[in-house]
Amino acid sequence: MAAILEKRKLRDFDWLLTLLALAIALFGTWMIYNAQPDVGYWKKQLIGLGISAVVMLAVSFTDYRKLVHFAPAFYVFGLVLLVVVLVPGIGLKINGQRCWIGVPGLGQFQPSEFMKIPTVLMLARYYGRPRGSTLTVRETLMGIAILALPVGLILLEPDAGQSITYFPLLAVVLFLSSVRMWLVIAALVLGTASVPAAWVAGVKTGAIKPYQQERINVILDPENADRRGFGYHTWQSILTVGKGGLWGSETRGDASQSKLKFLPEPHTDFIFAVTAENTGFAGCVLLLLAYAVLLTKLIHGARRAPDRTGMLVIMAIVGGLAFQIFINVGMALGMLPVIGVPLPLMSAGLSAILSTSVAIGFAISIRLRRFVN
Amino acid sequence: MKFEDETQNLKGRMAIINALVIALLVVLGARLYFLQVVRGDYYAERAENQRIRRLRIPAPRGAIFDRNGKLLVDSRSTYNVLLAGEDMKGKDWNVLIEPLSDGLGLDPGLLRERFDEAKRQPAFEEVTVKEGATPADIAWVEAHSLELPMLLVREQPQRRYPSNGTLAHVLGYVGEISPEQLKQPRFKDPDVNPFVRDNPYRPGDIIGQEGLESTYDRYLRGRDGYREVEVDSRGRIQRDLSLVPPQPGQDLVTTIDLDLQLTAEEQLRNSPNKRGVIVAMDPQSGEILALASYPTFDPNLFSQRIGTPEGRREANALLRDPLTPLFNRAIRGRYPPGSTWKILMATAGLQQGAITIKNSNLVCGGGITIGNKFTRCMGSHGSPPLRLAIKKSCDAYFYRLGLKMGIGGIMQMVDEFDLNKRTGVDLPHELVSWTPSPEFKARFNPRDKEWRDIDTVYASFGQVYDFVTPLSMLRAQVAVANGGRLYVPHLLKEARAVAGAGPFPERPRQTFDHPDPKRLDIPVDQHDLVVDGMWAVVNEDGTGTAARIAGFDVAGKTGTAQVVGLGKDTGKNKDHSWFVSYAPAKKPEIAMIALIENVGFGGKFAAPAVHNIYQTYLSKAHPDLAPAAPPTVEAAAQHQ
Repeated sequence: MAAILEKRKLRDFDWLLTLLALAIALFGTWMIYNAQPDVGYWKKQLIGLGISAVVMLAVSFTDYRKLVHFAPAFYVFGLVLLVVVLVPGIGLKINGQRCWIGVPGLGQFQPSEFMKIPTVLMLARYYGRPRGSTLTVRETLMGIAILALPVGLILLEPDAGQSITYFPLLAVVLFLSSVRMWLVIAALVLGTASVPAAWVAGVKTGAIKPYQQERINVILDPENADRRGFGYHTWQSILTVGKGGLWGSETRGDASQSKLKFLPEPHTDFIFAVTAENTGFAGCVLLLLAYAVLLTKLIHGARRAPDRTGMLVIMAIVGGLAFQIFINVGMALGMLPVIGVPLPLMSAGLSAILSTSVAIGFAISIRLRRFVN
Repeated sequence: MKFEDETQNLKGRMAIINALVIALLVVLGARLYFLQVVRGDYYAERAENQRIRRLRIPAPRGAIFDRNGKLLVDSRSTYNVLLAGEDMKGKDWNVLIEPLSDGLGLDPGLLRERFDEAKRQPAFEEVTVKEGATPADIAWVEAHSLELPMLLVREQPQRRYPSNGTLAHVLGYVGEISPEQLKQPRFKDPDVNPFVRDNPYRPGDIIGQEGLESTYDRYLRGRDGYREVEVDSRGRIQRDLSLVPPQPGQDLVTTIDLDLQLTAEEQLRNSPNKRGVIVAMDPQSGEILALASYPTFDPNLFSQRIGTPEGRREANALLRDPLTPLFNRAIRGRYPPGSTWKILMATAGLQQGAITIKNSNLVCGGGITIGNKFTRCMGSHGSPPLRLAIKKSCDAYFYRLGLKMGIGGIMQMVDEFDLNKRTGVDLPHELVSWTPSPEFKARFNPRDKEWRDIDTVYASFGQVYDFVTPLSMLRAQVAVANGGRLYVPHLLKEARAVAGAGPFPERPRQTFDHPDPKRLDIPVDQHDLVVDGMWAVVNEDGTGTAARIAGFDVAGKTGTAQVVGLGKDTGKNKDHSWFVSYAPAKKPEIAMIALIENVGFGGKFAAPAVHNIYQTYLSKAHPDLAPAAPPTVEAAAQHQ
């Protein structure tokens, strides 16, 4: 690969972004180790990190425009995988969800995680053409269709957590494709207002089941919720986070919440709680700061993208990452109900770290070509 | 930006997104600050609480000894097999019945009964499957820990009482503290019971429920230790964090002499109805040497088997038993004292000047006529002096003495001898005797409330208006014997000291908190006259010759208490047989009261029983005086 690297490319390569992503991922691996030192997740994660770094470099040195050109092919291939995963025998059923495909020798991977990339590329390709006016209804419907196919298939798995991470991709693209501002505001107001109304209606009609109500109740009032039942995850996560204090809890290691199995899924969904327990407020703020810098740098890169498509790709990635961070950390802090969404660059899992690396690779690739037209 | 166009204001929109991203992260940071910095300590404590569990290590309860150091009660370790309710939530219990009854050798019906009962309780934590598990049972449970993880074995210190009922009414028994008891001031208010400050009572505690176990629970109870362990989310122990060994309770040394006690119980067991009371006391201190009440019961029933359905059935049967075996007759039985009452009358009569030493003669005349009713004497004694009246138990003498003293004098006597009060013995549930007074009559006989002379006559020979507890009677008699000192009868000699251990301070030796004896003013010459009369009862041709022991000056007084009117006194309505006694007459070392229920004359049953106990006493205290062979009841009866 070194042969194709030109001097200019090396100079323009976004070292800071790469190193920041790598640092977060290494920090995450350390936390995975803290969560369950006896289990080999952290080793797997290190291997995954190595693979991801290579893939990220490969993507970043590839001209994104070529990849966007082939986006429909990726997209269709992704949809095929999402269909294949539903076939019993091929798709592995874990915790009642059929969202994994076993690959002999390599382990298993999650198509819904990777499908975000072709979806972003398809959206960027469709909305990337130069625009002269505001969005038409037809254009909007086309975007919804691009999104609806993978989301629909993912809901069949069913993996509601994964599927909602697709929505910010479209939202960002539409927002930046000059959807009328008053429409955005109206949607926001209407959405906000309808939540309590929908809640009341849902509870009254029984559409929101008791356990779902309990999951919401625990967020509104964790002290008095059913802490042993549906509120268990949230309550234990709050305890774990709070226990960390300013500088990290004194009782770590063998006495930690994760080691004693009070905190469920400590290496994946609740990796942030593990971070909070081990590094305290100081470590968590540092991590959030790192995310802020990473996202801001990505947005900065989007401003200088050589074309509209590249800008949309980066911004959709930003939207996706920010949304996942907020959902995951919000869940760990007991502000949002429990939704199985991994924390980008932190949660254990090859699929998640790989797809995030590919996304960041795209961003670097786009930035590399900022002066090329 | 090359692709920027005016209609979109793309720069602004991207800035909005950037601001939104930062805002969301700030919201997360603020929430973090609240959870970790503001409330961090609170959550840390909550997390510690779920991680660290304190497992109680029950403290061994103090043992109980007799005055010579013979063991009466101790605790030993037993093992119970339990079923943890937490693991059984929402599961089918019935599938366990077969493997459990097979593996532990239990009756399936009984197991089902226990399960049903446990399920009816809203918040139970565990069910006892088997008490007193054998090593084989424990091995079986351990071997099946995978299939039956809800089973656990727990060590349980178990009280062990003499199973034949020896001393049951004195020792009492232990049992789990009830929710009602936990609310009582005695078990929670440090102002009422200062011991709860250091050693509070908690649900599930095993406490003394009756007898000395109850009275001296504060000494006997040890302080539970604990093992602090770290558990995981499923409650499995990960490692030990700390260990505080329990501090055992204080051993109790009682005033009981086991040899005397066993002899006393033997007397009651061999009596025709196997019912009655015998109490022996040290007349110089109030220490109770023996206290037997028959019929008796097995205290192990309440301390061990009460948790089981069959144990409860057994206990209910005891509660309903018309012979009241649970009842400590010495302090809860109220009996007409019959002629034993005359000793108190004689002492008070002299004291109050109704008779004098020089002129103590009163007419017998074979009876007395009050109004148109003649109340007869059992014999005809002419005009006897006091000594003869005591010796022959002349009723009519005391009718007239009573009339001379008047009901006021009798009431004064009752008050002086504390017969209208509790004795203060260190046993729970003591009752107060009923004693003659116009108020008592008014309550007792509402149709004829007025106190008449005939009532005074009845009251003066221990019938109709007199119902005393044997212990209060003995106490009064002892005051006559020792020249006027009314001791508080008691059973505690000492609670032995226990060394301090870990966080628990030393527990010092405790003794019975002796109040000064109440002193009655009995002049020596009056005292001597009454004692002489009592000596004559046994050692001349009196009514209590069955108690005579050569060389040991036994003094005594028989009593035959009517249960029903004359002529109907047969079968189960026969008279109660009393004997009060002390010896040696001039310098008493031991005093006794015996009551054999519904058998007949005092001299025939109670006096020989007392005689036999004296023999046991002599064989220990004065071996030179002990007669070779005890006379039989029949032989003793011929003395009369």
